[in-house]
Amino acid sequence: MEIEKKAFFVYLFTLLGIVIWLGLIFLAPYLKSRSSELHVFIYALFSPLCHQLPSRSFFIFNYPLAVCARCLGIYFGFLAGAGLFPFIRKFSSLALPKTLTFVVVTFPVAVDFLGNFLRLWSTPNWLRFSTGLIWGTILPFYFIPGMIDLLLKLKRGKAALRIEVQSK
Amino acid sequence: MNNQRPNLFVPALIGGAVAGALSSIPFFNCLCCIWIIGGSMLAAYLLVKDSSVVLSIGDGAIVGVLTGIVAAVVHSFIDIPLRPLMREFFQNMMKWAGEYMEEMPSTWEGWFEGGLSVFGFFLRLIASAIFFSILGALGGIIGISLFGRKTPPRTQGTSDVSQDTGDRQP
Repeated sequence: MEIEKKAFFVYLFTLLGIVIWLGLIFLAPYLKSRSSELHVFIYALFSPLCHQLPSRSFFIFNYPLAVCARCLGIYFGFLAGAGLFPFIRKFSSLALPKTLTFVVVTFPVAVDFLGNFLRLWSTPNWLRFSTGLIWGTILPFYFIPGMIDLLLKLKRGKAALRIEVQSK
Repeated sequence: MNNQRPNLFVPALIGGAVAGALSSIPFFNCLCCIWIIGGSMLAAYLLVKDSSVVLSIGDGAIVGVLTGIVAAVVHSFIDIPLRPLMREFFQNMMKWAGEYMEEMPSTWEGWFEGGLSVFGFFLRLIASAIFFSILGALGGIIGISLFGRKTPPRTQGTSDVSQDTGDRQP
């Protein structure tokens, strides 16, 4: 029962995190359009994560989003996957997707990247977004069980330490 | 029988260096955050390869977080000399795009203004470390799921952690 409670907490935290993450991505161009200096901070926050090329990004309020189309797709996919998570997995389950499933969802984004990288083709932003979306959907099915296991592991570590100290 | 926990730092250093470098170098960085996930998967692979015990997905998350921190440091330092070059490249690209596009945002010239102060550098480093750690944890978990041993070898020890690392469906 306690595990389920902790798992539910991890799930809620993940869901809240991705909503805030996506909110910041959209907030950057909005703030820039309102001439608020805060936009600099938000664009800078996402710059290590994404090349932020305007030609590869969607525009809103006349300015590019804080991440490119592919990254946006990955984060929206993550949100979609997190939304689906309770309907597909039990919170207490640490089961992970099959390797084949991971390979299948990775294939479109890998092919798209390779084609662009080798200059075989140049995909439009909506396609970059779509391949990212497909890939991103599977990620919460790794992230949430992983974080639950990490939390349990840390708790076990603390308990073991307490027993050791008491026995001394 | 050797059932000692493997050293997490060497795989994290290798994975972090690879991920940090590839996510900074122009043209290679078009995969953005995926490099950090990939670097952590590499770290998880190296961890599994050197480990005589069955590792849990929590172990993958830990090595992933460490990889993310290393990647953030590498990325931040590589970024210092590359930043002025990239700014010039983007400005030229936008000028070129402006010749072919009918409507360009009116204030695009301002997008590339501003240098990097010491405060800015540390702020970016801290932000990178937090974001890269999250993505690194994800990569480490995926790595353990893909490369991790599902059952302990007969002659070697097992870890005290759960073995929920396999391809299991509910």
